[in-house]
Amino acid sequence: MRTVLLKLLRLIPVLLLVSFGTFLLLELVPGDPAIAVLGPDAPTEEYERVREELGLNDPLLQRYASWLGDVVTGDLGNSIARPATTVASLIMARLPVTLEIALIAIVMALVIAIPLGMFSAYRAGSRFDRAASGVTSALISIPPFVSALLLIFLFVFNQDIPRYGWLIATMAGALWIAVHTARLLAAKELEGRELLWQILGFVVVAGVGLFVFFRWPDFPRQGFSRLTDDAGVFENLRTAFLPALTIALTEIAVFARLLRSDMMSTLQEDFILSARAKGMPGRRILVRDALRPSSFSLITLAGVALGRLIGGTVIVETIFNLPGMGRLIVQDGVVAKDFTVVQGAVLVIAVIYVVLNSLVDLSYAALDPRIRRGRG
Amino acid sequence: MAVVDVDLPEPVAEPSAASGEPRAGGVGRGVALMVVGIAVIWVTLDVLIDVSALIRVPVVLAGFAVFYVGLDQLLKRLVGPRVETDLWLSLFWVGLVVFLAIIADLLPLREAQDASKTFTEPILARPDLFSAHPLGTDSFGLDLLGGVIYGARLSLQISFGAVTIGLLVGGLIGVCAGYFRGKLDGAVGILTDSALAFPPLILLIALMVALEPTVPNLVVALALLGIPTYIRLGRANTLALAQREFVTAARSMGAKSGRIVLRELVPNVALPLLSYAFIIVAVLIVAEGSLSFLGLSIPRPKPTWGNMINAGSEDFDKHPHLVFVPAGVMFLTVFALNRIGDKARKIWDPREAKV
Repeated sequence: MRTVLLKLLRLIPVLLLVSFGTFLLLELVPGDPAIAVLGPDAPTEEYERVREELGLNDPLLQRYASWLGDVVTGDLGNSIARPATTVASLIMARLPVTLEIALIAIVMALVIAIPLGMFSAYRAGSRFDRAASGVTSALISIPPFVSALLLIFLFVFNQDIPRYGWLIATMAGALWIAVHTARLLAAKELEGRELLWQILGFVVVAGVGLFVFFRWPDFPRQGFSRLTDDAGVFENLRTAFLPALTIALTEIAVFARLLRSDMMSTLQEDFILSARAKGMPGRRILVRDALRPSSFSLITLAGVALGRLIGGTVIVETIFNLPGMGRLIVQDGVVAKDFTVVQGAVLVIAVIYVVLNSLVDLSYAALDPRIRRGRG
Repeated sequence: MAVVDVDLPEPVAEPSAASGEPRAGGVGRGVALMVVGIAVIWVTLDVLIDVSALIRVPVVLAGFAVFYVGLDQLLKRLVGPRVETDLWLSLFWVGLVVFLAIIADLLPLREAQDASKTFTEPILARPDLFSAHPLGTDSFGLDLLGGVIYGARLSLQISFGAVTIGLLVGGLIGVCAGYFRGKLDGAVGILTDSALAFPPLILLIALMVALEPTVPNLVVALALLGIPTYIRLGRANTLALAQREFVTAARSMGAKSGRIVLRELVPNVALPLLSYAFIIVAVLIVAEGSLSFLGLSIPRPKPTWGNMINAGSEDFDKHPHLVFVPAGVMFLTVFALNRIGDKARKIWDPREAKV
């Protein structure tokens, strides 16, 4: 309990410094906000009036204190650019978009990375492991704007490539299951229930493969349909797919590498050996016994990634023209010289990040009984 | 000789580390595979120049894969089974990029910066390795090879400069925090925590709006980005060292704190910190590229990898080479730096080596 309190106490100076940094950062920006409000041709006394109105003539610390006082009560000020709206409402309109993209990306990355990392660890040093390790190092090295453009090139401009690639991959998978089943049948190693599972697997892989192939959606080059729009969930997912995949590509690599190394050390443990000695099949050991103790740092990393992505989707939002936090900061804030918007948005992002990190840090100890002591 | 410029295989076929087991096949087979690989690449790039790029690109990649396997077998046979071919190729690639960036002014490159001098050049020429424009030209007739090399110059200057500053400033602060502990350590810890709480790209964007996009300003902005990381690394490495006997011995001989930090701790922390420099350079190249891509770094007409990609992305459905040539070079450089950095950390970072 003491460590929890200490961690929370440590949050306070960090948050203060973060807010002061945000405040200070925009002091450096050249250009007079009064000009941004009135345009370049207003009379001098008008500029003076606006500066006074915005509090630009007060000393720095006083402005910071009054700003912070407002912030704590949830008032992030009004946007300078017309039409004036509250920054809080702007952020509330943008945050869900970024949050959704980040969440979808993390789920996608986990879905791909967990089996990838698991089998890499299980067959460490094998051809599969080395291929996976090559692919993940490549994915980590692709800058996000490059992978976004690459995905646009494939999925928007040349959609037959991923479409037929998908068809070939799923059909090959289904064929492999069929051949495997036939071989087992011929060797009379298949019981009734297992045969059913094999057939079910075949049907699912082939069915999903064909279904997606024939109902291949047109992914848009740009734009976003909100979840709450009339167009509905499918439209929302269709517009969110490519941006989320862009982000997921990097995260897949990060997650898979981490899970692989954690899993490899778990697989050295005695309880795995005893499970093996009892004759448990490898697949069952991996999923039932080894995955849980190996996944703690993965969960924390996913939590940290969520916090990081809320501020880290600028590039993707710019390329795909999404109305998220990153574009709010760059387009409406930095380009339009609307510094209250930038301040508010950066502050919200940084606070979410810091708080999320602390929560993750705390939950780490709660989740994993092995490290409850000795930490803190 | 232009083939050499792209002499790194696509990583899809790359195994990560030496597996240790000796490979079958001898010198002859390795050389044969390399020749086949180069022949495939040459035929696709020179003879089959009119075939669709959608076919030629995969074929060229396959050619590189074959070449790589051949080289791998050859080196394993000649040097030993533990040789890491991909590491050597990475070193070769980074060396090549650095070398070309240094001697860029001496190379017989076509005009890559000044669009007023390219009226006679073909515009939007497709990459053709054996023509005057090996990597093609853009919509102003500017040479992409030249752009990529001059872009390398800027990218490398900026990121190496930023890493050097970050390393010196951040490393020193970190060592002091780790050695003196106490209030200084606490204050530094809170400062780094706060600095790391800002989304890095957003911090950079805000800084670059305030600063003119010049090379020194970019160096400073990117250095600021890296300093908190270096403080943490320096501190963590110092904590382990400060308890060691040689520090106690120095202190008992009457050495002042300044001397202990500079003469005893810094030399020992330097190498582990330096081993992270490669990876941070890679991160900074991507960060600078992102800024360039958003139009907040060195502006056109000076080519950087990022602003070339940005300029090309406008109608890259028709002219994909405008994006994929600089993007490919950037990717290979980042990939190679990451690979070298991983290896460097394994060798020099004691914390990594123990794991």
